[in-house]
Amino acid sequence: MENNKNEIRHKDTGNVVDEEKKQYIVIKIGDEKYGIDISYVDNIVRMQKITRVPKVQYHYVGVINLRGEVVPVMSVRRKMGLGDDVITNKTRIVILKLEDLGFVGILVDEVKEVIALGESEINRNIKTTHKPDSMFINGIGTTGDDLISIFDISAIMDDPKS
Amino acid sequence: MDVGQYLDIFIDEANEHIQALSDNIMILEKEPENKDVINEIFRAAHSLKGMAGTMGFKKMQHLTHDMENVFSEIRNDTIKVNSNLIDILFDCLDAIEAYVDTIKQTSNEGDEDNAALIKRLNDFLADGKDAGDGSGEPAPSEDAKAEEQAKEEAADAKDAYRQIRLEENDIKTLEENQSSGMNLYGFTVHVQKECMLKAARAFLVYKAVEDFGEILIYSPSSQDIEDEKFDLAFSFILASPQELDPIKKAVEIVSEIESVDCDKVTPDMFRIPDASAETEAAPAEAPKEEAKAPASAPAAKAPAKKDAKKKQTVNKPVTARTVRVDIEKLDALMNQVSELIIAKNSLVALSAQETASNGQDQGTRQTFQEQIEYLERITTTLHESVMKVRMVPIENTVNKFPRMIRDLSRRLKKPMELVMTGEDTELDRTVVDQIGDPLQHLLRNSADHGIEAPEVRKAAGKPETGQIFLNAYQEGNNVIIQVGDDGAGIDTEAVKQKAIERGLVSEEDAENLTKKDIIDFLFMPSFSMSKVVTDISGRGVGLDVVKSNIEALGGDVEVKSELGKGSTFTIRLPLTLAIIQALMVQVRDEKYAIALASIMNIENIAVSDIKYVQAKEVIYLRGLVIPLVHLDEVLDCKPREDKPDNLIVVIVKKGESYAGLVVDSLIGQQEIVIKSLGKVMDNNKMISGATILGDGDVAMILDSNAMF
Repeated sequence: MENNKNEIRHKDTGNVVDEEKKQYIVIKIGDEKYGIDISYVDNIVRMQKITRVPKVQYHYVGVINLRGEVVPVMSVRRKMGLGDDVITNKTRIVILKLEDLGFVGILVDEVKEVIALGESEINRNIKTTHKPDSMFINGIGTTGDDLISIFDISAIMDDPKS
Repeated sequence: MDVGQYLDIFIDEANEHIQALSDNIMILEKEPENKDVINEIFRAAHSLKGMAGTMGFKKMQHLTHDMENVFSEIRNDTIKVNSNLIDILFDCLDAIEAYVDTIKQTSNEGDEDNAALIKRLNDFLADGKDAGDGSGEPAPSEDAKAEEQAKEEAADAKDAYRQIRLEENDIKTLEENQSSGMNLYGFTVHVQKECMLKAARAFLVYKAVEDFGEILIYSPSSQDIEDEKFDLAFSFILASPQELDPIKKAVEIVSEIESVDCDKVTPDMFRIPDASAETEAAPAEAPKEEAKAPASAPAAKAPAKKDAKKKQTVNKPVTARTVRVDIEKLDALMNQVSELIIAKNSLVALSAQETASNGQDQGTRQTFQEQIEYLERITTTLHESVMKVRMVPIENTVNKFPRMIRDLSRRLKKPMELVMTGEDTELDRTVVDQIGDPLQHLLRNSADHGIEAPEVRKAAGKPETGQIFLNAYQEGNNVIIQVGDDGAGIDTEAVKQKAIERGLVSEEDAENLTKKDIIDFLFMPSFSMSKVVTDISGRGVGLDVVKSNIEALGGDVEVKSELGKGSTFTIRLPLTLAIIQALMVQVRDEKYAIALASIMNIENIAVSDIKYVQAKEVIYLRGLVIPLVHLDEVLDCKPREDKPDNLIVVIVKKGESYAGLVVDSLIGQQEIVIKSLGKVMDNNKMISGATILGDGDVAMILDSNAMF
């Protein structure tokens, strides 16, 4: 756990405080990199046969067989209004395990790496022209030159009943 | 000593007795002179009191004791049954039930002493007696006991404790105790014939007397008693510094004890008249003693190991013919069976592939095929067995309803009665647990809205007493529960007006609604027809909850109603929840499962045979007009490219109505494991779940009930 801690100085007191770093799985959708809090992630699986479920929300592409359980798969692209996924051999399904909703898979273009970010490396103050109900991130993390949008899992799972 | 392990037995039996009391008090209300019923009630109340006492629940014992007093007065005809009394008694029953509930949750009876209730009971008793002859209070119950005992006299093996055969060292033990100033008492306890857990009763008796002294001799041995190797009586010798009477009372208080014979004994009584010193009594006793011999042999060894044995008795719960199993363990078993079936299905799929792809030699293939079929048979039977284990009769859920209707009848001042049939119909445990509330809603509805006031009924030429019925029976893979009444029926015109008023439908559209469409309004959230909100119903929470509860269990509700004649709600529930036999069909490149139980038959229909009724496609088959449902359309599949001359139609049935589902092709029959689709996707009525096929693919399960 040592490398998860980062010695920084408290901005007011100047005291050294230990900061707990959280791990994020970095994925790519289109050209944008997103981070998913690893504590939500159960598993990452290769693209496999997705069975369509008729008459469900547009952004649910169907279900897969995950070790004998039926798991719904969501397209974040569709949810964010970015159109249909283009399936390549880099496409993965990230299986999230959610406390009250159980397993849900999300389709991503590529899984890049796992990074550790401290709260100080995440800019929570995001200004955007998006409407609140189309906001799916709750922070922007920085590693070197890279910007990583941190997914707000509850916003992604939220389904405003129309 | 710890009575914890008997807590479950206590709770179960207490509930049984409460139910028996409830049932019998209901009968008593109708037939206040029925002696059999009164005796039955007395017995149940007495057992309850005894059980509560043994388990140390003093408050509960107090309440039941006072109830018992009332019953004994009724039995002696000193007070008369009236509805006022019945009300008090039902309130007492509720209080006892509350005790049992508290005990169930906390192993403790709680603090409520129900003083007010006990006062009401005693006031009634006092009033009743003033009106009656006003004499002789505790005597009757003593008399009763004397009577019972008198009956028992006839039975043989009475003072069996006198015939306990002892070895020299046992007699020495007795002598030692006697010389140290202890009183020696011989006991023979007779358990009731219908007693289920004799060993537990014996244990409770031992526990009761051990408060007074030490048991020196067991006959039969404590091991035999633990194994229930005894008939209806067992004996023991107790050494105690105390008087006999309180000990005898303590034993009698244990429930399901028929009678107790006891007296002082001396070690000399057990001296075996040996060959050298034959007494005059010996010849007469001889045959009896011989008969006793096998039993007394182990008895002789018992005292030595007594302490160890006693611990064993405590640690080893007595098992009867049934085993209590945690429902979670059954769920786990069920899941494992599901896994097994999935694994079996993949084997079947594999074998089919193998056979198709390479021409193995005939012999191997056939053996392989046979073994797979064998496996298939085993898994199917295994599944059936597990399902059966999970089945319980709906009895426990529905037997509280007569009481509820009776209370409602009094509150609403409308005479009515509930007739139930098929209480022994069995359903999966989880379904039974959850069906209670919906049924209660429907019955309340019938009582409140259905049954009319007696004057109205009379004017309509109906009997004044309203009939409410609950019929349960099995039909194929479903269980049907019908709840209804012979009351006013649903006034569809009024419902229609209300719907228009509420803006649910326009006036013009309302004209075209069928009766069924109108009745469906009643199942909408917060749609109440009652003009006045009562605490029974009329708040508009009810039918919609009933419907969603039942749909959550995979069932559905149907209503039939005739104005002035009554309404019937028919609930259809699946017998099994997890594994079903299904027909696999193909629509374009997708596979779907349809529950075999809902399928009537499969037809090949020429497109030219399709007819039109109200601009909708139907087929006319053996006198039935069956609407066609194109699955590809309702499931948003890709449009069909070719135009076939013939359609494959799966005809499904829901109650009296039929629908023809048009599919592309049939795959075959298969046993499938129902998996939930999770919570995130919008619940769509047409898909009731998913299943995993032998090749690992997922297929949707169609709910054919949603196709109507």
